[in-house]
Amino acid sequence: MTSTLSRRRLLQTGAGVAGATALMPHWAMAQQAAINYWHTFTSQSEFSGLEAVMASFHASFPDIRVTQENIPNPEFMAKVTAAVVANSRPDVTMVASERFADLHAMGALIDLTDRLNSWDRRGDFDDARFASITDADGRIYGLPAFAFVPWMYYRKDWFDAEGLSAPTTYAEFEEAAIAVTDASQNRYGFSMRGGAGGQSFVIDVMESFGAPIVSNGEIGLNRDAAVEAVDWYAGLLTRHGAVPSSAPNDGFRQIMEAFQTGQTGMIWHHTGSFQDMASFLEPGVEFATAVMPAGPAARVARLGYAFNSLTSEANADAAWEWISYWGEPDAAVALLGATGYFPASSVAAADPRIAGDPLYAPASETLGFGGPPPSFPGYAGWSETSVMPLFQAVLIGQLTPEQAVDQMIDALEEAIR
Amino acid sequence: MIGELSETRYWMYLLLLPSLLLITAVVLYPTIYGIQMSFREMRLNRPDLGTGFVGLKHYQRMLNDPIFWLSLRNTAVWVTFAIILEFLIGLIAALALHRNLPGSRIFAVMILLPFFLPNVVAGHMWSLMLDPRLGVINDLLLKAGLIDSYRAWFADPATAMAAAILVEAWKSFPFFTLLILAGLKGIPTDLYKAASIDGAGPVAQLRLITLPMIKTIIAAAVILRVIGLVNSPDLLLVLTSGGPGRSTMVLSLFAFQTAYRDFNFGYASALSVVMFILLMIFAWIYIRLSRINQE
Repeated sequence: MTSTLSRRRLLQTGAGVAGATALMPHWAMAQQAAINYWHTFTSQSEFSGLEAVMASFHASFPDIRVTQENIPNPEFMAKVTAAVVANSRPDVTMVASERFADLHAMGALIDLTDRLNSWDRRGDFDDARFASITDADGRIYGLPAFAFVPWMYYRKDWFDAEGLSAPTTYAEFEEAAIAVTDASQNRYGFSMRGGAGGQSFVIDVMESFGAPIVSNGEIGLNRDAAVEAVDWYAGLLTRHGAVPSSAPNDGFRQIMEAFQTGQTGMIWHHTGSFQDMASFLEPGVEFATAVMPAGPAARVARLGYAFNSLTSEANADAAWEWISYWGEPDAAVALLGATGYFPASSVAAADPRIAGDPLYAPASETLGFGGPPPSFPGYAGWSETSVMPLFQAVLIGQLTPEQAVDQMIDALEEAIR
Repeated sequence: MIGELSETRYWMYLLLLPSLLLITAVVLYPTIYGIQMSFREMRLNRPDLGTGFVGLKHYQRMLNDPIFWLSLRNTAVWVTFAIILEFLIGLIAALALHRNLPGSRIFAVMILLPFFLPNVVAGHMWSLMLDPRLGVINDLLLKAGLIDSYRAWFADPATAMAAAILVEAWKSFPFFTLLILAGLKGIPTDLYKAASIDGAGPVAQLRLITLPMIKTIIAAAVILRVIGLVNSPDLLLVLTSGGPGRSTMVLSLFAFQTAYRDFNFGYASALSVVMFILLMIFAWIYIRLSRINQE
């Protein structure tokens, strides 16, 4: 028996195959949504924390596949800006508080207000948590993933040997930095971040001396107080030699290495480096934590939040599941366990695994007085391209504190003009 | 109809059309767009300012901007010393490889390795090797008695630019090696034999035969490297970010920071246009001085 394929039969079969092929991708997508996530995690402990959260998320949402991509902090804004301009945005992006104004102004973020208002865990977060991701019209563009709670690490063994206790004021801090310095042994009091990323500390010190960048809604700098602040902070290197000479080029990696290898006795950072630190030095014995010291005019600690924001509408529902999962106590505790990053959720922060640990007590205390970092369009660029190089110029003796502050003021006016 | 068209003088224009369209799309349009952006207000984080025509505002600002002049001076230092070093090391390496000594092939691969590394990787690698705490270079120099304590090379304005130029020279000298070696292969050996009979030593042969014979290649290599050095901020971005202070700030880095830190694409475009014009002028003068198009 021979069978022949009629023309009609061939067309019917072809149409059937074409229809099935066209439907298959939709069926597959319905089975598994894929979202990509841009973040600035860099250290091994941060990656461990991220992996823990991703694994936990995948167990709860097996139909959503998350692909993470690390964007180093210095290149973050360049990459996101390029993605926005080229419309090749990721689904979700991590947004630090101080970057919100610029990203919002360029239209990079998607309004989450309605989703947040109907979210069953909205009550776990104080309204204040959203302050630095809310625009002038009250629209919210991100969900806090964790908090950057600044604090100080110090070498407890060195301090004990010198009969010192953790400094609570800038005067005590300076005294301790000088006391533990022994340049002949290549030992210094303080790991100053004078390179990439150090601008926020310069701005905090200025505010601690009475020169906030934003005061009563007005942007500006009190020149005399800012000069005093820059002179004091730079003086730790230029007058007292209590800081390694590499400070003008020391970024995150360098200050961490200096503290972890026993070159420096104190370091300002945030709780996110706690587990990293504990892998080099014994907590409570070799190092301890303390609240940031108070300046002559104020005690400043920037409670920044890392927000997760939607940057594309393409997979909005799946992306929302991912960013809202970070608000679950289990995810928050998993991240804290791997890194030390503090939960943004009040419910998670009250977890006995956190509240009961004395080494985290300074972080809990900081939550009581800390405030958000300044945020206005142009702030991030001004702090990075003006404050940092001008402060470095003071450190290397190219400018006086007066000259540096005058140029910072000029650049600030240019940035907001 | 096509047959008739192919007989006319318009046929060649028709054949050129796809290439012209491609060049317009990938070269002309972005260039013209970049130039017109330099005459506009274009601050991504200030949409309230609009994107209107501002004439020569950005160019006027540039004239009064001390960072621009400092960056221009630093660019001249950065490019001049890097090119000299890269050329000299590249020439020596090419001459050595051209002798076909035992192991030349392995050395050729080893010499080319730095050129294959991405700038960001090379930058981080050297940043670690020159680290004031853990850097192997400091250790070696200390053991050799050349320094009395570990130095923070990138934190001192007296050494930051020099250290960055050395890293750049290490990274890019193979480019010269590769091109010069190709040129050396094309020089007839008879010339050297004749020169030798006439009593010319190795230095005279290099000066009177080798260098004149590869002059065109050297000129092309120098122009390409100058363009690369002027336009690429990535190595300095990783090593120093333009610091300490602004002692290693070059034009490309300044334009990059203006665009991607301050989000001022109008001013950044004006800086890029000036770099573009400077490079055109340099290439024109250099070609005239080296007289390569008269041969």
